[in-house]
Amino acid sequence: MQRVVVIGSGDGGTFTANLLASELHDEIRGGLASVQLVGEHLKHPFQPGNLDVAFKGADPEKYVKDETELLRKGVDFIQDPAVKIDCASRSVTTKSGRVLGYDFLIIATGAVADPSKIPGLAEGSMNFHTGGESAERIWQALQKFEGGTIVVAIAGTPHKCPPSPDEAAFMLDEFFRKRGIRDKVKIQFLTPYPRPYPAEKISKVVEPMFQEKGIEVSTFFNVDTVDPKERKIYSLEGEAFDYDLLIAVPPHHGADVITNSGIGDQDGYVPTDRGTMMVIGQENAYCIGDATNIPVSKSGVVAHLQSVVVAHNIVAEIEKSQDLLEYNGRINCPMEVGQRRAIFVSATYTSPPTDQTPSMVKYYMKRSFAMIYWRALNGSLERIFDLFFGKTRFPLSKPLEPEKKIEVKVTEGGKTNA
Amino acid sequence: MSAVEQHKVIDSRGSFCPGPITDLFKAYRSAQLGDVIELLATDPAAKADVTAWAQKSGNELVDVIDEQGYMRIIVKITKKRG
Repeated sequence: MQRVVVIGSGDGGTFTANLLASELHDEIRGGLASVQLVGEHLKHPFQPGNLDVAFKGADPEKYVKDETELLRKGVDFIQDPAVKIDCASRSVTTKSGRVLGYDFLIIATGAVADPSKIPGLAEGSMNFHTGGESAERIWQALQKFEGGTIVVAIAGTPHKCPPSPDEAAFMLDEFFRKRGIRDKVKIQFLTPYPRPYPAEKISKVVEPMFQEKGIEVSTFFNVDTVDPKERKIYSLEGEAFDYDLLIAVPPHHGADVITNSGIGDQDGYVPTDRGTMMVIGQENAYCIGDATNIPVSKSGVVAHLQSVVVAHNIVAEIEKSQDLLEYNGRINCPMEVGQRRAIFVSATYTSPPTDQTPSMVKYYMKRSFAMIYWRALNGSLERIFDLFFGKTRFPLSKPLEPEKKIEVKVTEGGKTNA
Repeated sequence: MSAVEQHKVIDSRGSFCPGPITDLFKAYRSAQLGDVIELLATDPAAKADVTAWAQKSGNELVDVIDEQGYMRIIVKITKKRG
């Protein structure tokens, strides 16, 4: 019996469990394999929908389905969150005290947006990263907003959906133009990065559009504190901006189960091999999506593409096949820029994002993702995705074994150990 | 000025923009005035990004040393709120 346990029932976890249930259909039926999906919530949100909730007034319920509706036959969904992972004994303990042994573990516990990490941020700001209800509060606030300064700030990196702060600024601009009061609203964009979008080629597209739309940008702004009473946001670098409405991307960290299990880095992300997605230093354990420490976009597309590699390799391991794959770092993050136009931020580990021209076709492709998301989770659209995304994986060039843990190269006292 | 100044080495080699500058900001967040942060980077954009940040923020770019296949970018924290 090969027991596969997937922790986290978001995009990556759900999709991986479905792929495995499909690929191991005969083994599961014959009692030779099992796929257990351990998750906290029965409701599964389409998180990118929060932008539409916040800035277009969409109903959050439109972007939520029951997890059980999304799972293939053969996936055993356990709605009981994991609280401890013990890689040594190959077991996962759930909140209710259930202990699940595994032969293969997939960690898909995501990233947590946490406004409490910055003093004053939770009280002084609104956001669309902590769920549909939070996003809905932005929409309600925008209805009442008659003029003043709206600050859009990135209060921590990395964060989910890299284009989302820029999209928020574009969507605010469009919202107030439609309301006919754009001239009464100042939109101030604060970013820790050197430019409006971290990737230079994409920034060259965004920057002139921000200028044209009158969206003001301040770079190298690392949020230090927020003073909700004075309505002021301060940076570590010593700058300050007044605001009437603050929309901030909160700092993110890994899930508590990672930190509590002692397998995360200082931010709770899991050290992971960027090709095989194996957890560094652990046997038969994989990590995908927002939960990894890999410097690649925290996005659904990335989780999806990594899932394909992990599910393929686990099946290969079970079937004792040498046909193993590596993920090539492919990202594809759509960014809406207003007036029914969008760009796609696309790259791999070895090819940075290239020039983009905003287009209506890309806008409608982005909108269509929201419609096909639910079907994509059961794996039935993989052929289309393979055509769309092109090369996202290649044959593994090394043995499938976990990399050894290396010493963190941070020294104190003037000595370099690099 | 902190009682004991720290010299931290951050290894961002193999990471592309915005990886190195993001790693620098993480170290900056926990640094004290007088601390030195040494960023190891292979991404050529890191030099320009860190230089621009130091100029804007008032921190000191001490040196950029070309090593074989990577750079050592050394910054002294001379300005930080709080």
